[in-house]
Amino acid sequence: MCASVKYNIRGPALIPRMKTKHRIYYITLFSIVLLGLIATGMFQFWPHSIESSSDWSVQKRSIRDVPVVRLPADSPVPERGDLSCRMHTCFDVYRCGFNPKNKIKVYIYSLKKYVDDAGVPVSSTISQEYNELLTAVADSDYYTEDIARACLFIPSIDLLNQNALRVKETAQALAQLSRWDRGTNHLLFNMLPGGPPDYNTALDVPRDRALLAGGGFSTWTYRQGYDVSIPVYSPLSAEVDLPEKGPGPRRYFLLSSQMALHPEYREELAALQARHGEAVLVLDKCTNLSEGIPAARKRCHKHQVFDYPQVLQEATFCVVLRGARLGQAVLSDVLRAGCIPVIIADSYILPFSEVLDWKRASVAVPEEKMSDVHGILQSIPQRQIEEMQRQARWFWEAYFQSIKAIALATLQIINDRIYPYAAISYEDWNDPPSVKWGSVSNPLFLPLIPPQSQGFTAIVLTYDRVESLFRVITEVSKVPSLSKLLVVWNNQNKNPPEDSLWPKIRVPLKVVRTAENKLSNRFFPYDEIETEAVLAIDDDIIMLTSDELQFGYEVWREFPDRLVGYPGRLHLWDHEMSKWKYESEWTNEVSMVLTGAAFYHKYFNYLYTYKMPGDIKNWVDAHMNCEDIAMNFLVANVTGKAVIKVTPRKKFKCPECTAIDGLSLDQTHMVERSECINKFASVFGTMPLKVVEHRADPVLYKDDFPEKLKSFPNIGSL
Amino acid sequence: MQSWRRKSLWLALLASWLLVLLGLFPLLRLAVPTSPRAGAPQGWPRWLDAELLQSFAKPGELLEDGPRPPQALRGGSCNWGACFDTSKCRGGGLKVFVYPAAGPVSETRRKILASVEGSRYHTLSAAEACLLLLLSPDTSTGECDPVPPQWDGGRNHLVLSLHPAPCPRTFQLGQAMVAEASPTVDTFRPGFDVALPLLPEAHPLRGGVPGQLRQHSPRPGVALLALAEDGGRWHVAGTDFSACPWDGRCEQDRGPKQTHPGATLPNATFCLIPGRGPDVLHFLQALQAGCIPVLLSPRWELPFSEVIDWTKAAIVADERLPLQVLTALQEMPLTRVLALRQQTQFLWDAYFSSVEKVIHTTLEIIQDRIFGPSAHPSLLWNSPPGAILALPTFSPSPSDFPFYHLQQGSRPLGRFSALIWAGALGQPPLKLIQAVAGSEHCAQILVLWSSEKPPPTGWPKTAVPLTVIDGHRKVSDRFFPYSAISTDAILSLDAHSSLSTSEVDFAFVVWQSFPERMVGFLTWSHFWDEARGGWGYTAKRTNEFSMVLTSAAFYHRYYHTLFTHALPKALRTLADEAPTCVDVLMNFLVASVTKLPPIKVPYGMWHQEARPPPLEPGGPGLRQEPQPAAQNCINQMAAGFGHMPLVSSRLRLDPVLFKDPVSVLHPRLLHEAA
Repeated sequence: MCASVKYNIRGPALIPRMKTKHRIYYITLFSIVLLGLIATGMFQFWPHSIESSSDWSVQKRSIRDVPVVRLPADSPVPERGDLSCRMHTCFDVYRCGFNPKNKIKVYIYSLKKYVDDAGVPVSSTISQEYNELLTAVADSDYYTEDIARACLFIPSIDLLNQNALRVKETAQALAQLSRWDRGTNHLLFNMLPGGPPDYNTALDVPRDRALLAGGGFSTWTYRQGYDVSIPVYSPLSAEVDLPEKGPGPRRYFLLSSQMALHPEYREELAALQARHGEAVLVLDKCTNLSEGIPAARKRCHKHQVFDYPQVLQEATFCVVLRGARLGQAVLSDVLRAGCIPVIIADSYILPFSEVLDWKRASVAVPEEKMSDVHGILQSIPQRQIEEMQRQARWFWEAYFQSIKAIALATLQIINDRIYPYAAISYEDWNDPPSVKWGSVSNPLFLPLIPPQSQGFTAIVLTYDRVESLFRVITEVSKVPSLSKLLVVWNNQNKNPPEDSLWPKIRVPLKVVRTAENKLSNRFFPYDEIETEAVLAIDDDIIMLTSDELQFGYEVWREFPDRLVGYPGRLHLWDHEMSKWKYESEWTNEVSMVLTGAAFYHKYFNYLYTYKMPGDIKNWVDAHMNCEDIAMNFLVANVTGKAVIKVTPRKKFKCPECTAIDGLSLDQTHMVERSECINKFASVFGTMPLKVVEHRADPVLYKDDFPEKLKSFPNIGSL
Repeated sequence: MQSWRRKSLWLALLASWLLVLLGLFPLLRLAVPTSPRAGAPQGWPRWLDAELLQSFAKPGELLEDGPRPPQALRGGSCNWGACFDTSKCRGGGLKVFVYPAAGPVSETRRKILASVEGSRYHTLSAAEACLLLLLSPDTSTGECDPVPPQWDGGRNHLVLSLHPAPCPRTFQLGQAMVAEASPTVDTFRPGFDVALPLLPEAHPLRGGVPGQLRQHSPRPGVALLALAEDGGRWHVAGTDFSACPWDGRCEQDRGPKQTHPGATLPNATFCLIPGRGPDVLHFLQALQAGCIPVLLSPRWELPFSEVIDWTKAAIVADERLPLQVLTALQEMPLTRVLALRQQTQFLWDAYFSSVEKVIHTTLEIIQDRIFGPSAHPSLLWNSPPGAILALPTFSPSPSDFPFYHLQQGSRPLGRFSALIWAGALGQPPLKLIQAVAGSEHCAQILVLWSSEKPPPTGWPKTAVPLTVIDGHRKVSDRFFPYSAISTDAILSLDAHSSLSTSEVDFAFVVWQSFPERMVGFLTWSHFWDEARGGWGYTAKRTNEFSMVLTSAAFYHRYYHTLFTHALPKALRTLADEAPTCVDVLMNFLVASVTKLPPIKVPYGMWHQEARPPPLEPGGPGLRQEPQPAAQNCINQMAAGFGHMPLVSSRLRLDPVLFKDPVSVLHPRLLHEAA
C-alpha cells in the first residue's frame, strides 16, 4: 500500500513524457480504480448487516470436531470438597472487582473431549441439557469471553448426571483447566449426584473449592450461602403441553405418582388410601402397557390407567417422597400442575431455598409423621390452599420450567451475594406477577410522627410578581413552625430584587435562580431544603391565615406520607365520553388537592424530578399546566393513599381563573385539566387517585367552646 | 491533450487515494477490535448436531432412581423433623416449661424468667409442656446446672443463653436446640437452632427504648458512615472518608474525626460493623439508632435469621472489597436508603427493644415451626406491626388483617357489624338499634346481653339480622372474638349511646380509609401529671386527644382476637375490676400496635336544633372526669406495657362540606354531606 502511494506521488513528474498510446492504459487504470472505489464503498455500507447477524458471530460447528484432550493417568486430582467453605473464605471476590452494573462476569471454557491414556472417553461429551444451560449463560448479560475479566468460570465438562461420568478422571479433567486454581470461582452444575449403593447427596467428583449448584443437597452436604441448591430438571417440561389450571377444589385430595418407592413408604401410602378412600390416590408403574407407549407418560392404580403428568392436575396435594436421591424431578411436574407438593424428605434442601419461600408453595412433613399427613393437610384452610396452588405454578414458571430459567436463577443468586446492595428483594423472587401488580409498597411505611420542632420549608415559585411575592413571604413568615423560606426565581430575563428590598423575616430566606422557566422547578429537590416537610406555595396565595398554615403542618405531621392541601378537587368518570373528567364543583368528595399551597414530604420532590413515569414531567413543562395533578398522581400511585384536605377552604383567590373573561376561560381550563387526568392515567396505566369523603379540621373546630382556648381559632372560611 | 491526460492522472491519483483510505478503514477496524462483535466468532457455539445430543438422564432414570429405606439419623446432626417431637404439642399448640433456677438468680435470668412466664405459651407443668426451656447459667457465681430431670437426651429442649456461658456445659446437648447470642455460622443449624441478638446487660425487661429515628429520610449533611470501634464506641467519618476507614492501617488519613466517648448511638446513615467477635453489640446499637448496619463478612448468624429478612434492613458486604462497598453506599438510591432506615426501626421496636420481645420472638419462631403450613407468612414477620402482634391463628390470609391491605392490593370488607353491649339495662335500646340498622353499610346487629335479668323477647324488627348473645357480665367480654361477627369492621356501642344513621355512615366510610385505627366519636386525652408524678387522663374537651371511647367506635375485628389472646391476663383482670379501664386498655392495645393516634369524627353536629342528650351521665357511655381510682388504671396499664403507647392527635375528620355555608345554601348538599 505504501508503495502505490509513492508511485502516485511521483506520477505527475512523468506525465510530459507519456505518449498517446498510453492513454488507453490510463483510462483502464482509471476505470479499475473507479470500480474499486465503488466496490469498496459498497463494502463499507452494505455488508454491515451481514457482519452483525448472529450467524457470523456464533460458530456453527459439529460436536464431533471438538478437540480431544488426553489425560495422563497420573495427572493431578483436586482435593475433595471443603465443607467449611464460605463466600468470604473460598471465593476470590477480587476477580469480580468494581463493576458499575453490579453484574458478575462469567466465562465458559470451550468444549473439549477428554479421554484417558487408553483413549477411552471420560464421559459423554455434553448432554442436551448442559448444552442448553451453557447457551443460556452465553446469551445472558453475565457472559464474557475474556477469561482475564471473568469472575466466575463454568467448565464445559458436563457433570449433570454423576452416573454418566467417571469420577476420578472427570476430576483430573477439572484440575487441568487453565484457571482452575484449586477450583476457586468455578461453578459446577450437577442435578443427579451420588451413585449406588449409598447415593451421596452431593457430587462425588473431587472439586476442592468450587461452588456446586446441586440438585439434591441435604443439610449435611449443603454449604449454606456458598452452594446453590437447584431443581432436578424434568424433561417433561418441554415435551408435554400442560396449560395452567386455575386454583380450586380438585378431585383427589392427595396423590402419589412416584414409581420407585421403597416398600415401606408404599405401605404407608396404601394405609392412607385405605383410611381415606377416594380422596387419596396412590399410583404406580403400569405393568401391562402395550408396546409403543412410553412408560414415563402413564401411571396406574390397579387396572385404571392415568395420563401423566395430566393426572397431577386432578389433585390438591401431591406427595414428593425421597428416592435414593433427595432431589426428585417429579417436584417440577407437580409444581407445574399447580398441585401443592408435600415434601417428605428429611434434611432435603429445597431448590433455590436461599431465596424462595417454600412455605408459600409447599408443605414439608417429616418422614416420621408420614402417617399423619392427611390430618396435617386437612388443617390448612381452603383460601390458603388456593394461594399455595397459584404460588406453586408461579415457582415452576419462573424457576423450573426450562434449563435457562434454572441457570439464570443460579447466577442471580451468586450475583446477589457478591453485590448485596443491588440484590433482588424477597418480593421480587417470591411474589407472583398478579400480586406485584396490585400491591403498593409505601416508601414511607414506618408509622412515625415527626417532631414539631423540625418545622417546614416554604417554597415559593415566582416569576415577576414581586409585590404579591413579598406579601406572601410576610404572611408565611408568621407561621410558627416555618424554618426556612425558599424563593424559586423562575424568570431568566429579570434579576430578583436586591437583598435590601426583601421583607425582613425571622427565618432564613434563600433565592434560587433557575435556568429555564419550567413548572417542574417548583418540585425540584433543592439542597437548600433541610426539613422533611415542604410547603409549596404560589406567589399569590395571601388569603391563608397563619393558623390555617400551622394547622396544615400539624396535619402533615400526622400523615407525613400524604399530600396535605387546602382546596380539594375531584376526578370523575364520564360515562358518556368514557373518559375521566376534572371536577372543581363543591362536592362531598375529594381525590386531589391543589399544590398552590400544600404540605408534603420532600422525598416526593425527588420522585417528581427523577422517577416520574413516562414523559409526564416534560409534558407538564411544555404545556405549563397540571403540575399539581401530576404530583397528586405520583404520590397516590407510590403510597396507595388518598390526599388530606384541610379546613373548609375551597378555592384560592382565583388562581384558576386569572383571566378577565372568567367563564369561557374557565371552560377551556376545565377541558385542559380533564385532558391531563386522561393523559396521566394512561401513562400510569391505572387510576391511582383515591376518593375520600373527609377533610381534616382542628379537634374543636366550630365546637361550642370558648374561641380563645382553641389552638387554631382563625381557620378561615372559603 | 496533455491537460486531459494530466487531469485523468490527477483523477486517478485522487481516486486511488480515496481507495486507499476507504480500504484502510476496515483494516484498521479489524486490527483494533473496538467491539467484540467484529472479532472472531464468540459465545457458546450453536452446534450443527445439537439435535442429536442425548439427554442428561437416560429414559426412566429420573423416575426410578432405586428405592431406598427411610434413613436413620446421622450421629450428632439434628434437624427439626428428626429431633423435635411435635406430637407432644398437639391440641394446645406450644406449651413451654422453664426449669426453675438452682441457686441465686441473676438479673438477666430473672428477666428471662419473667418474660417466659408472661408469655401466652407458659405452663407450670413439665408433663404438659412440649418445649422445655433450660436457661444456661449466666453468672460465674451460679453453679453449673446438672442434667435436668426431664432431659431425655435433650429431646424437645431449648437451651437458651443470652450471654456466652461462663462455665462449660457438663452434659452433651444431644437432641436439644440451642438458642444463643450470635452463634458462629459454622456450628449453627438452620431451621433448628435459634440465633439470638447479643443483648447488653442492662437491656430492659419490657417496653424498652423506642427507636431513635425521628424522621424518614436522613437529615441533610449527616455523616454517611459511622464505624464501630472497640468499647461500644463509634467513629463518625465525614462524607469524604478515606479509602479504608475501618482499617486500622489508615489511621493517619482519616477524615474529620469525631469520636464519641462512651457507648453512644451513632449518628450516620450507614454503620460499618466488622464481622468478627465483639462487634455484634454494635449491631443492635445501629439498629436502634436507625443507622443502616453494613456488616462486613459476618462470621455470626444474624439474629432470628430464620424469619427476619435482613436484606431489607441491613447490608451484608464482603470486607475484601472496601472501595466497592463505599461506592455502592454513596450511590445507593434514596428510595432504598429510606426503606432500609425505616426497616431497622420497625425491627428494633418489634423484636429487639426489650428482653421480653426477644424471648417472645424466640418462642414465636418455635411455635411457627410447630404450626408448619399455618405459620406466620414472611410478610407478617417483615412488615409492621410484626409477627408478635399479628396472630396467625386469626387468619391464614394477610388481607384479613387490618395492616396489609396496601401490600396485598386488597380492601377491607364493605360492611360492619354493630356490637351493642347491654350492661345493666332492662330495656332494649330501640332508638339506637333503629339508627344503626338504618345504615346502608350495616350487615348485622349483635346484642351482647350482660345483665342479670334474662334478655327481653321483644326486639324490634330490623332490616338486618339481629342476634342476642348471652354475655358473662365481665367487661372484658365485650372484646371477645365472637364467631358471630362476620365482617371486618365492628361498631362497638353501649346501650346508652345515641347516634344518628348519618353519623354512623360517615364514621364507617372514614374507617375504611384507616382500617387499622379506631374511629370514634367521643374522646379522652392523656397527660403527664407532674404533681402526682404519673399519667392521668381527662374527658374534658381539649385541643387534642389520644383515646376514643369504645361506647361508640369503629375498629377492626382483629383487635378482639388480639385483646383476648395476646394481652397479659393481669391487664384484662384489671379492666374487669375497674370497668372504665377497659377503654384505656383497648386504646393502649391499638396504639401499641399502630403507633398512631385514633381518629375522631364529629358527634352530635347534625342535630343542631336539638343536640342529643349526651350519653347518660354515670352510665358507661360518657364518663365524666374519671374517678381517682380509674386514674390509677392508666399508670398500671403503662407499667404493664412497659411504656406509654398512646399518641395524641390534633385533628378531627369532618365531611368535606361540614358546616359549610354552601351546604346551608344547598340543602341537597347538606343531605349528601350528612
